[in-house]
Amino acid sequence: MRRALAALALGAMCACSGESSSPAGVDVPGRPGATKSSATVRAQRRLFDGAPPTVPHPPLGGSCTQCHNARGMDVPGLGFAPPSPHEDTPGMSALSRCNQCHVHVLDTAEFVANGFAGVRQDLRKGERLYDGAPPVMPHSRSMRENCAACHDGPAAREEVRCTHPERTRCDQCHVPSVDDSLFTRP
Amino acid sequence: MTHFDRRTLFRALGAGAGVVAFSEADRAQAAALEAAAGPAPTGMKWDKAPCRFCGTGCGVEVATDGGKVVAVRGDEKSPVNKGLLCVKGYHLPALLYGADRLQYPQLRQPDGSLQRISWDDALDLIARKYREALDAKGPDSVAMYGSGQWTVFDGYAALKWVKGGLRSNHLDPNARLCMASAVTGFMSQFQSDEPMGCYEDLELADDVVLWGANMAEMHPVLFSRILESKRRRPTVRLIDIATRRTPSSEYADLYVEFRPGSDLALANGILHLLVKQGKVAQAFIDKNCVFKRGEEDLAKIGYGCSGEQAERYTFNDTPKDSSFEEFKSFLEEYTPQRVSELSGVSVAHLELLASIYGDNKRKTLSLWCMGVNQHVRGTWMNNLITDLHLVTGKIARPGNNPFSLTGQPSACGTVREVGTLSNRLPADMVVTNPEHRAKAEKLWKLPEGTIPEKPGHHAVDMFRAFQRGDITCLWVQTTNPWVSLPNLHRYERKPGDGKFLIVSDVYPTPTTDRADLILPSALWVEREGVFGNSERRTQQWNKLVEPPGEAREDAWQIVEVARRMGLGQLFPWEGDWHEAMFEEYRSFTLGVGKDLASYAQLKSTRGLLWPVVDGKETRYRYAGGHDPYVAAGRDVHFYKAKGYGERAAIWLRPHHPPAEVPDAEYPLWLCTGRVLEHWHTGSMTRRVRQLHQAVPRAYVELNRADALELGVKSGDRVRLESRRGAIELEARVDGRGQPPRGSVFVPFFDESKLINELTLDAMDNISKEPDYKKCAVRVKLAEQRT
Repeated sequence: MRRALAALALGAMCACSGESSSPAGVDVPGRPGATKSSATVRAQRRLFDGAPPTVPHPPLGGSCTQCHNARGMDVPGLGFAPPSPHEDTPGMSALSRCNQCHVHVLDTAEFVANGFAGVRQDLRKGERLYDGAPPVMPHSRSMRENCAACHDGPAAREEVRCTHPERTRCDQCHVPSVDDSLFTRP
Repeated sequence: MTHFDRRTLFRALGAGAGVVAFSEADRAQAAALEAAAGPAPTGMKWDKAPCRFCGTGCGVEVATDGGKVVAVRGDEKSPVNKGLLCVKGYHLPALLYGADRLQYPQLRQPDGSLQRISWDDALDLIARKYREALDAKGPDSVAMYGSGQWTVFDGYAALKWVKGGLRSNHLDPNARLCMASAVTGFMSQFQSDEPMGCYEDLELADDVVLWGANMAEMHPVLFSRILESKRRRPTVRLIDIATRRTPSSEYADLYVEFRPGSDLALANGILHLLVKQGKVAQAFIDKNCVFKRGEEDLAKIGYGCSGEQAERYTFNDTPKDSSFEEFKSFLEEYTPQRVSELSGVSVAHLELLASIYGDNKRKTLSLWCMGVNQHVRGTWMNNLITDLHLVTGKIARPGNNPFSLTGQPSACGTVREVGTLSNRLPADMVVTNPEHRAKAEKLWKLPEGTIPEKPGHHAVDMFRAFQRGDITCLWVQTTNPWVSLPNLHRYERKPGDGKFLIVSDVYPTPTTDRADLILPSALWVEREGVFGNSERRTQQWNKLVEPPGEAREDAWQIVEVARRMGLGQLFPWEGDWHEAMFEEYRSFTLGVGKDLASYAQLKSTRGLLWPVVDGKETRYRYAGGHDPYVAAGRDVHFYKAKGYGERAAIWLRPHHPPAEVPDAEYPLWLCTGRVLEHWHTGSMTRRVRQLHQAVPRAYVELNRADALELGVKSGDRVRLESRRGAIELEARVDGRGQPPRGSVFVPFFDESKLINELTLDAMDNISKEPDYKKCAVRVKLAEQRT
């Protein structure tokens, strides 16, 4: 019941805001069209590349992991809730305290304007040695241990969707790029 | 762009022969983004810094590019947070770039407007105002109000200037409002401030007991460490003793709800059961403890908020020796039945708590913060929690410790260690001790008798004295008292009243609104700094970007004023004085068990836990095998407590009722506090869109049954009234916190909804820390949600 109401509320919000790019009116992952132009949507939800995204849907009650569980869940009327990428984050589990980092957007006004221009996602990253070679991971793995959360499933955006999700040992072929330097002999 | 190698060049060129971005669509988007906002940064440089917010002291790595901060990430090398941050930490970079940053000194004109002036004019004016006040009315007419967000440099410069230069002890920080009761707690029991344990205790403890601390919101990263420990070892239990259900309670194995203020009875009730059940560690006590008790007569002590005490609260405790026998008979009256009646905690829960503290096979960690410290008997409550550990011998051992959390990034480093409180000097020294004053005067090369013996005003009395006109010249740095002081209506002020108020800050606040002179301060990585966190970790960072406009670091402001007052000998260093100032300060700490690491070592590490002896940090103070000061062959050695024969003091502390209790007229308890997203008075976090939009305004949390009775629903506007003030707020029922029947909760970050106009300026008798957690209010429906 609560979820149905939330879905209605969300529908109303989206309807009101139309094509607006206001944070409250952004597309929800898994909805038609969400897989297109998601780099822009992704940027809207973050202060900078590396900051935790805000929650793109209104508070629904219940715990986040009800829907954002290990496999993700198709929520009728809302879309596909992807699993958490932090599933296997070692050392310190933030799993159950989602709101420690991900906050809702309850207002669209600003208290005071802010001129911060943060680092943006570098879409030129993820390079391959040659066409057909496995791309290097363009981002750090910290807090993103579960590759499938973003690269597989209905919510994965087209450009980064993995063609071979059955091969679960991702880092067998895709290595993280942890340094920008080149090898030089000592 | 500092880093531009061949590979970067390839990237900048886009899809070179061997370089393929991950899809056509992305390439198109990258081009569009570049067209709109220029190329994505490639010359980023990463440096270390501690987080700017709470006392946890998370390590962050800060990315700068083109002279601006562009990103942060959790520092995986930091032993504090191991790569994780909370939402405030992740949004740190935007703190620096709010559109209304203060950039130039501004002087208030007779018509109330602000006029930009030069630093030279501003500094000369401050020097003249202080000199005039000193000449006219002496050192009692001048004061400085500082902060637990001051760096060690700022605090040390302030201490030396006020106590060694102005010959006044009227220097106190906002930390008086926040952890002063923990200081007096540790000092009264160990004659040395700060906890013996460290954050590693969070993983080593079997039972983690929260005493009125909502760690899930206020110390989120440390709370994550507890949750991770629980996940790895399912036998770990989290016990939440509180007056309100919070997000922390959701993870607790045991939630114990007590009536506001009855924690004193509750702790004594647990001690009663431990003694009755023979669960005290007698051999440990005989070897390591003494017993003490102080003034217990409520009529003599008061609360600091009525009669003469409402102007000046200067109660002094009178400690006397006690004994284990007296302790036993003192506890007689705290029977489970009586404690249960006083506190509302069931006898079964009391017995369970006693069995947790009394189980010597399981390690117990007690954690507390504002619930215990902002308390009319906060020192007593600190004493009683530590008593639980002392009588069971569960102390100064890994996983077994009483541990006070702090709310500001350098409440420990700057306030407690440097000693920027009205009665203190560096490294546990106090102005009332002639030897301590002599040591400070010698190290500062000042004539004997420079530092006055009488403690200065504590925070609340300082503002009362300013209101009366006793203090005519006051400088406030890095804090926002016109939002954070209790009973705010007392301090209404318009500039131009003959007194002179200087405020150094980074953004306009209700406090700068009342200032005669506003100075722009450099913030966080816009300057070099050192913070000390809750676990005794001293962390250094370098200046990474230039501050905006003419903003300058707080310490520089103080040093320049001192020089213009003819007190330049206090700061004799030429050029960059940071390392020289730190090393001078460090000389206070060496050889007395408070040893700080050298500046060079701090620069190259992720912080070190003092005492640092021979370059090695100490994770467990007073613990054999850990602390180099412990005598050979001793398991535990409270070597700092010289006055108690190098033993810790177990204090007998009775239950006293709160200063104001709900009645027919004002039937509800009001508790105030923070939310995860906003930090303290919100002057920084509200300027970050994501944080502001998550919690855009203050609200009042109501209990569902109370709301039904009042005819109030979530979203309705209600009027909240106390004997001191009234505000209208949006009501929340069953929000993230659920206050029990008969109580409400309001966060204090919102400058347009000043809950401190309602709070009471009742204080702890020993620490003089105000109680923001308990006063009486009533609620009326103002307007129904449409």
